[in-house]
Amino acid sequence: MIDTASGIRIRPADELDISAIVGIDEKISGQYRPEVWERRMGYYLRRDPESSVVAEVDGKVVGFMLGEVRSGEFGLEEPTGWIEVLGVDPGHRGKALGRRMAEAMLEHFRRQGAHTVRTLVDEEFREIGDFFRSVGFEPSSLRAFVRPL
Amino acid sequence: MNTRTTTLPKRFHEAVLKWKDTYLSDYDYLLENWQKHFPNEPQFQLCAYREMGMCTEIECGTMKGKPKFTRAADMLPEQAHHLHGAIRAQASTEFGSIQQHRLTLARAQDEEEQFWILRMMAEELRHGYQMLHLLVEDDWSSVSKESTSDMLEEILSMNTGSHVLGAFNIDFDSFVDNVVFCALIDRVGKYQLAMQKISAYQPMAESMPQMLREEAFHLAAGVVPMRRWATAAARGDVYVTMDDLQKAINKWLPRGLEMFGDERGGGTNVKYGLKPMKNAEAQSQYYDEVSKLVRDLNLRYLRARVENLTLPDSETVLDRILAGETVEGVRREDLLHMPHPEFFRRRGMHAFKMTGFAGEAFDQPQDYLRHLTANLPESYRASRDFRDYVEALTQVAGGTLKPEEAAGRMPSLRRVGGACPCSKSVRWVVDEPRPVETPAAQPAIA
Repeated sequence: MIDTASGIRIRPADELDISAIVGIDEKISGQYRPEVWERRMGYYLRRDPESSVVAEVDGKVVGFMLGEVRSGEFGLEEPTGWIEVLGVDPGHRGKALGRRMAEAMLEHFRRQGAHTVRTLVDEEFREIGDFFRSVGFEPSSLRAFVRPL
Repeated sequence: MNTRTTTLPKRFHEAVLKWKDTYLSDYDYLLENWQKHFPNEPQFQLCAYREMGMCTEIECGTMKGKPKFTRAADMLPEQAHHLHGAIRAQASTEFGSIQQHRLTLARAQDEEEQFWILRMMAEELRHGYQMLHLLVEDDWSSVSKESTSDMLEEILSMNTGSHVLGAFNIDFDSFVDNVVFCALIDRVGKYQLAMQKISAYQPMAESMPQMLREEAFHLAAGVVPMRRWATAAARGDVYVTMDDLQKAINKWLPRGLEMFGDERGGGTNVKYGLKPMKNAEAQSQYYDEVSKLVRDLNLRYLRARVENLTLPDSETVLDRILAGETVEGVRREDLLHMPHPEFFRRRGMHAFKMTGFAGEAFDQPQDYLRHLTANLPESYRASRDFRDYVEALTQVAGGTLKPEEAAGRMPSLRRVGGACPCSKSVRWVVDEPRPVETPAAQPAIA
């Protein structure tokens, strides 16, 4: 989908977006991690290339949101959409790119038969939690547990 | 996803399984190790998928807005003829690529990348199966005198050298070919599938979505290893150098460009609602996309060579190097470059023009062949494919053969007898020069 007035376009991610995603991650995290994103994109493109999206502004990729529909995990037998990682170029925040990408992904998840979409957010990253609340997510009874090894 | 799964009638299904036993002998190994490499992913199934709920009106051309065809017999004769040619060509490419990949699959250094290619081969088998299903499910007697059995036998009997499109008649020389082929030639496949997704023939349109989903990973199976190799080359690994990658690109890109068909053609497919773009438009988009890939690989190489380079600086530094400056020891010749679109062409409007890598024009075939030998992989230069090209070029340059006729001399399919699917009844034959076809009338994958 493309909004010609704003020059914003949301489309499925592809293998040529890896460099842009590496760059956005580097701007956010300060780490250059191409190997990580090459492997991850290989995974998502193999699983369902239409479930992960990027946001373009004037033809340049400035945001990404990766996820998929899975079943049978954590006792959740029904098909469930998972938003697993997202990033928006700091220079392009405030344009509702995250909301637009989420809407595109949720629409795809619905077509895939999912009735629920889930994600996990570290409480330290309040901004991300606020984003998900703003697009309709609520805290779940499914809690994350962790133990160091 | 709303898809319908179907299989071929038993005897045709078994013919494909027999073909698989011959050309994809690692198939069972792939299935046995599927969960190790692709945990929790649905097991591969050899079947045809049809997407339900797609647009039922013709989306382009003179019949735009009318209901799509569900039977070939209801189509205009020329329209059905073009469609039949496209299905046959598509099937040929799917089976043909497996025959190419199998030659060098075992030479992969990395098990993960090898399994990616093996999975891709199985999915190409399914794509070929999908095309056969289109031929079996409908009645094509209005455009072909061949029985369904004969059509399938012909396709399953093709070997490297007898396939419909040039790129599928070239042997692989190393695992570099497996990978670069995925990145460049499967990319053409993506364009063809995306265009056929709007086909006026509903069963064809419904066959495309699942094939496109699978094709997305095939491109990644090419691009990701190329990125890794560029990084390794920058760090001094000697296995796959940037020069190796460049020469592989030079080998495959011209064939990829030609897969779109003659630059002056494609209008018939648009007119009949079979594809939304003419050949030149799709080819140009493809060229731009590969250019982006080459730039990405250069950036990957540069960041690995110059480790303190920041993200904002990398694009600028890359442009300076490409302009001829040496920066931090990285020279222009260390990087990858796009061959000129007319380089090493043997089909289409630039066939046998003797255009160099950078677009320079050559007058003498000897000079041009020296230029080609310097820019193509050494192992490819010793191939039958290259020998045929050299012979044709020499005759074109000597005025004894027209370029259009020389293009017709490139390997093409001819039936020479035989009845059994494993009889290999279709051989590599070189047709005698034939009358020049007008671009619009060329069949078409284009």
